[in-house]
Amino acid sequence: MCVGMTARVLKVNRDVALVDASGARRQISAALLPSVEPGDYVMVHAGAAIAKVGEGDAEESAGVLRGLFD
Amino acid sequence: MEQVQQQVRQEIERAKEYLRNYDGEQVNLMEVCGTHTHEIFRLGIRSLLSPKIRLISGPGCPVCVTGADFIDEAVYLAKQGAIITTFGDLVRVPGTKQSLAEARADGADIRVVYAPVDALDLALQYPERQVVFLSVGFETTTPAECLAVKMAKEQGVRNFTLLTANKTMLQAYRAMANKNKLIFLYPGHVHAIIGTGICRELAEREGISGVVSGFTAYELLAAITVAVKKAQANEPFFVNAYPRVVSEEGSLAGKALMEEVMVPCSAYWRGIGVMEGSGLALSDAYAEFDARKRFAVPEMEGRENPACRCGEILQGKCLPPDCPLFGKACTPEHAVGACMVSGEGTCSAFYLYGNTTVEEKVL
Amino acid sequence: MNRETITLAMGAGGKQTAELIREVFQDKLKNELFTENDGAILPELSGRPVMSTDGFIVSPPFFSGGNIGKLSVCGSINDVACMGARPRYLSAAFVLEEGFLVAKLEEIVSAMAETAGEAGVRVVCGDTKVAGKGQVDGCFITTTCLGEMVVQEAPAGARAEEGDAVIVTGDIGRHRAAILLARDAYGIEADITSDCAPLWKPVEALCQAGIPLHVIRDATRGGVGTVLYEIAHQSSVGVQLEREAIPVQPAVHGICDLLGLDPLYLACEGRLVVVVPESEAERTVEILRAFPDCTGAARIGKITGGNTGRVTLLTEIGTQTYLPEPGNELLPRIC
Repeated sequence: MCVGMTARVLKVNRDVALVDASGARRQISAALLPSVEPGDYVMVHAGAAIAKVGEGDAEESAGVLRGLFD
Repeated sequence: MEQVQQQVRQEIERAKEYLRNYDGEQVNLMEVCGTHTHEIFRLGIRSLLSPKIRLISGPGCPVCVTGADFIDEAVYLAKQGAIITTFGDLVRVPGTKQSLAEARADGADIRVVYAPVDALDLALQYPERQVVFLSVGFETTTPAECLAVKMAKEQGVRNFTLLTANKTMLQAYRAMANKNKLIFLYPGHVHAIIGTGICRELAEREGISGVVSGFTAYELLAAITVAVKKAQANEPFFVNAYPRVVSEEGSLAGKALMEEVMVPCSAYWRGIGVMEGSGLALSDAYAEFDARKRFAVPEMEGRENPACRCGEILQGKCLPPDCPLFGKACTPEHAVGACMVSGEGTCSAFYLYGNTTVEEKVL
Repeated sequence: MNRETITLAMGAGGKQTAELIREVFQDKLKNELFTENDGAILPELSGRPVMSTDGFIVSPPFFSGGNIGKLSVCGSINDVACMGARPRYLSAAFVLEEGFLVAKLEEIVSAMAETAGEAGVRVVCGDTKVAGKGQVDGCFITTTCLGEMVVQEAPAGARAEEGDAVIVTGDIGRHRAAILLARDAYGIEADITSDCAPLWKPVEALCQAGIPLHVIRDATRGGVGTVLYEIAHQSSVGVQLEREAIPVQPAVHGICDLLGLDPLYLACEGRLVVVVPESEAERTVEILRAFPDCTGAARIGKITGGNTGRVTLLTEIGTQTYLPEPGNELLPRIC
């Protein structure tokens, strides 16, 4: 389950963050990510940021596959 | 940048090649997560796989494993005059007599929200009405629901409650693994909260293998490739193929919040039955926000169509076309079982996207 | 008007009705064909008459990029344009809710006048009813458009042929996204303007260029995906789309990602699906792009002989899948 969406954090005000996904903005809860800062990328689900997101999916997947066939 | 892109493309092409030509022992993968099912179909990933790689859609769509009795309870509360707030997915799920969509046509106040806190906002906006949020989902969604209840308590909101049917994945993994020799594609967003420690333990102590997967085309291809490749060694394994989001420890804040607000309970999984310790209900400290307690909701019978084979489909025992109702009495427009009603259900995916591949290639 | 809100008396047919019609409707829509008689007498048309009608109940009636007035004019004009016919005359019937603001009605009627003027169409007759509070939602409008055919053979859903190119006249899904934002239902903000626009002029240019227009459909309710399924069924063909060729504004993508929706099912109110022979595809796109409402025109796929009655997609990873046939209410998906 769980449609997640990667979004960029624009503003943080205590437990509430304003995030942007390709131009669609929404206030979400940042209560699960105490150290989140503007500029971070987060995974958003049901109105809450559930995790910080590191690199992009392409680089990550290449990393996962690297060495597998050698 | 260009060079990185080039490398990524090469790796992915190699993975596709491998999956297409795989000719080893049969590998059975279960994607546990409904969003995985949905994306796998949307991206046509099944058409890339050799016949020796089988993808089974597991019980990870909360809508599909929610019993008819839960819908009956929600319809009951709506008829008592409450505003029922819900994720869009639940609106069409058939109850014993009515779905929420049918209750709405009868005048019930059913509202689709994006987030549980939006339901709380609605309660603040209508202080004279009771607002009930239909709290379904696994560990990904449960923290957002706990947050709403916690805020309601802090703000002393008296007209907001949850009707809970929250579930946890661990017992489901065990139940599925016992019945089938499966490798799990673990749901990335569940493990973003609960971490991967549990997956490692399942591999080391119980011999249950799996790969945590993300949701994009690249992530799914990479995770499936790793799973098939690792399966060759015939030893239990675990790989986190979604490290940009999922960590070993998961979300400490999320886990703490769930522990504060909810307690484990036994739960009914449609098609599978009751599993001890596989659900979450509001703890005593939050009992006043439990819709069942506040409104003394009577026990519902929750009758499901006996011909529906959703249960076996959820367990990978049969495929949707094996069900006598599939595509005949049961279609997305007139769904009998929950696997057809949810956009993420296996039956709905089979019906809408065809069995595995587009019949006639016109490439 | 000295009254601020619509009253039941304004729909009762007496003095107040006359005043409303005179001061709001006739003042803004005036032309010599719109008289106080029961019907409009029209000049001869220069081609076979084509007529289409459409009802509008959009909620809310005002949204970024337009309002129900503009929408109601575009809707019927575009339906007639899709038949290869020049829209000429419009009728408009209003059902207003008691208590609706007269100022808002004036704004709606002004938008109708402006859009009709822009498209070279005249509103020649109308009707107004007032329903009690709660019986309708603000303002409902039904328009009928009469036009004249300018092509020999009208484009039709059953005329798509194997090998034809499938073109959209711009990026898709903006109207529905703008409505979702205007409803403020999901707490999302974005700078999205409805694509609502009258599209006769670009269609006229295609007709004048002599392009064989096999099918033209406006991708309103149900979006481009629904329209393509209709074409697939009516022509007994398959439609093959390339996912990456489908133009979608990033913010529309953002909303779709948030709510678990596919832009292919979002309604447009100023986007046409055009099916032409492959040899004319490039020229068609070029002609369309010269019009301000069609700068994003693009070829998105082709008509196939196989997969009859189905729409398939070439995905971003080179696989081919079916586009699920839409059939249900569009609901946001969370899990």
